[in-house]
Amino acid sequence: MRNSNQPLFNRRNLFGATAAGLAASSLAACATSGGDDDAEEVTVGDDAENPFGVDGSAPLDVVIFDGGFGEEYAKAHQEIYNRAFPDAAITHLATQAIAETQQPRFAEGKPTDVLDNSGAQQIPMDSLVSDGELAELTPLLDAPSYDDPEVTVRETLRDGVLSMGTFNGEVYALNYVFSAWTVWYDAKLFRDQGWTPPTTWEEMLALCPTIQEAGIAPWTYAGQHPVYLYDLLLILAGKHGGVEVVKAIDHLEPDAWRNPSVVKAAEALAALYTEGYILEGTPGIDHIQSQTAFNERKAAFLPCGSWLPNEQAAIAPADFEYMPMGVPAFEGSAQPGLISAGGEEPFVVPKNATNLAGAYEYLRIMLSKEGAQIFGDTVQAATVVKDVPLDNPAAQATDALVSNPEDLFQPRFRFWYTKMSDEVKPALGALLSGESTAAEFIDRMQAVADETAADDTVEKFTHED
Amino acid sequence: MRHGRYPFILSFLALPVGLYAWLVILPFAQAFQISLTDWSGSSNNFDYIGFDNYLNLFKDERFVLPALRHTGIILLVMPVITIVLGLFFAFMLNLGGRSRQGRIEGVRGSKFHKVVYFFPQVLSVAIVGILWKQVYAPEGFGGLITGALGAVGLPAPVNGFLADKRFVLAAVIGVLVWSAVGFYLVFFSSAMASIPRDLYEAAIIDGAGRFQTFFKITLPLLWDSVQTAWIYLSIVALDVFVLVYLMTPEQGGPDAASEVVGGVIWKYAFKNAEQAFASAIGVVLFFAALTLAVVSLRFGRREQIEF
Repeated sequence: MRNSNQPLFNRRNLFGATAAGLAASSLAACATSGGDDDAEEVTVGDDAENPFGVDGSAPLDVVIFDGGFGEEYAKAHQEIYNRAFPDAAITHLATQAIAETQQPRFAEGKPTDVLDNSGAQQIPMDSLVSDGELAELTPLLDAPSYDDPEVTVRETLRDGVLSMGTFNGEVYALNYVFSAWTVWYDAKLFRDQGWTPPTTWEEMLALCPTIQEAGIAPWTYAGQHPVYLYDLLLILAGKHGGVEVVKAIDHLEPDAWRNPSVVKAAEALAALYTEGYILEGTPGIDHIQSQTAFNERKAAFLPCGSWLPNEQAAIAPADFEYMPMGVPAFEGSAQPGLISAGGEEPFVVPKNATNLAGAYEYLRIMLSKEGAQIFGDTVQAATVVKDVPLDNPAAQATDALVSNPEDLFQPRFRFWYTKMSDEVKPALGALLSGESTAAEFIDRMQAVADETAADDTVEKFTHED
Repeated sequence: MRHGRYPFILSFLALPVGLYAWLVILPFAQAFQISLTDWSGSSNNFDYIGFDNYLNLFKDERFVLPALRHTGIILLVMPVITIVLGLFFAFMLNLGGRSRQGRIEGVRGSKFHKVVYFFPQVLSVAIVGILWKQVYAPEGFGGLITGALGAVGLPAPVNGFLADKRFVLAAVIGVLVWSAVGFYLVFFSSAMASIPRDLYEAAIIDGAGRFQTFFKITLPLLWDSVQTAWIYLSIVALDVFVLVYLMTPEQGGPDAASEVVGGVIWKYAFKNAEQAFASAIGVVLFFAALTLAVVSLRFGRREQIEF
């Protein structure tokens, strides 16, 4: 797209300016010419060393999202691949512009082999799945694991990590990074001030005035990106009424948003603002500013994902002790252990990939002990592979929060339904900045849920269990 | 020799016309074609669905209608403010000073001012966007304007200007004007320089003040330049994508309060994987811009004045 508004225009630029669709349509130039759809399937053979029958001389094309985790781990994974297949030439691309670079390749029918479809510019998963552009990953999960032929790849994974990549019973994405949404606090600050980390919402509210007396605001969050509040609200509601409450929301059930637990959670979040428990200016700051404010101990609680301590390791003060606590539950909650945790960072294999077998093998390598350890060592974050030790206290504390598989649940509607994702973000932003009441928030979300449920053009998804 | 002329001319035209057709006309034609499908952008399967995209477009209260409204507002407001300020500054810098010994000059230090006003033009839009994002930030987070307002005891939006639905669009327009005014100052200055001085001297002898000289002499004689500026600025107004993308929360403001058409096209094409819908918006924008160009060229016409 045009990214300059230099004033030296001529008549032709007038036409250029008339449609940003120009950029979109020039990408499409080859799309409307059609393509073939005779993709082959990968099956699991008997050879545990090479279960997918990889052609060792076939090149492999890997696209990595160059975000918080960087690309070093991917290069290491590629070295392992080359160890097994020295003749395979690997094309490695690390970029943040996933959609801009990869969407045209899908449209052309010549997609990459392995795609790390992450970041703000990811290609929406619902669209890729409903367009039938992705290969199903069951052959990978049923294949023998890289380290032990007696154990399948599926058995090496943590509980519940496949659900994020599962669409109507079929696995289309391997979410490689294990992460949990929690509320963070600084253990040192709490120790020094003599505060006990709250275990219930009521305790948290009772602590807030004390925190304020110390000249610290109780809460801050990334106000410009209200999506950081999505899990906070839904898990708070889910804890109170049980996981079925949030599942009903994902399933677009009538009046799911009007469930008393959801209303109570929305009211509780709105009250954080009305009580003045949110750092002044928070709705106007982005995630970097809110994390900086948190590092500077201007706020006591910050809702964010489990990657935060690693990301902040070099930035936060040396004595800052990142500690996670689950979303504090209301007293009398039905399922106080509920936590939004599971796989993120979806790796997908396009159905029309040239080297389909190689792509499956690459994912199998990523899920090997060595592959997972490389990831853990380079970025200090857990993968979906079981029993890979990480040597930092925050990661260990997070592991304790997610120990009960029954309590792991990821609210999914914002991944399933783009329209609801577009609505919930501004609605949450308005709720926590005093611009809307809890009742207005509930009405607004129920309206878009009903609208989505009634829309026949939108493919519907459900949780498996 | 006459019969050899057309092949000769055609051989020169073939390449540029061919390139133009391939790179400009064909993509446009395809945007029209795609807008009639349900193509997601990441597949080579699609069905023709007639004009559904166009019908849905005008029902989209979430993005498209606000974006059309906002682009309309920018189109009306931004060129006017920029041209008025540009003319005012140009007039002051060239003719607004005291007349010394019968010579008409600009205010003191006008050359210096010209350079300073031109500065924003030198900065790339990306830098402008990041710079102003900070200027508009909340007070506790280093916001310049909120801080200044607070310092003199005036009320300022507590969350900064960009996170406030009431101010975000005005904030974007402010940046547009700020970055464009310098160029139009220089543009109008050079046009003013070509107006003969004796016209002004005659006017002053007849007792005309600054206002009268401006409205009776300068403005009428600059009309062509104003019209050109108007068209250029309208083009800029139709594409505020970069600033909105860089500065405003969620690349479209809180609750789509600064969503513009260019940004919505990008959102649908690349974030929501609805290329066909995005193409339909592009087509609508195309016709809107075409209408605008035709109207401003037809109705802006005036007699040329020779001097």
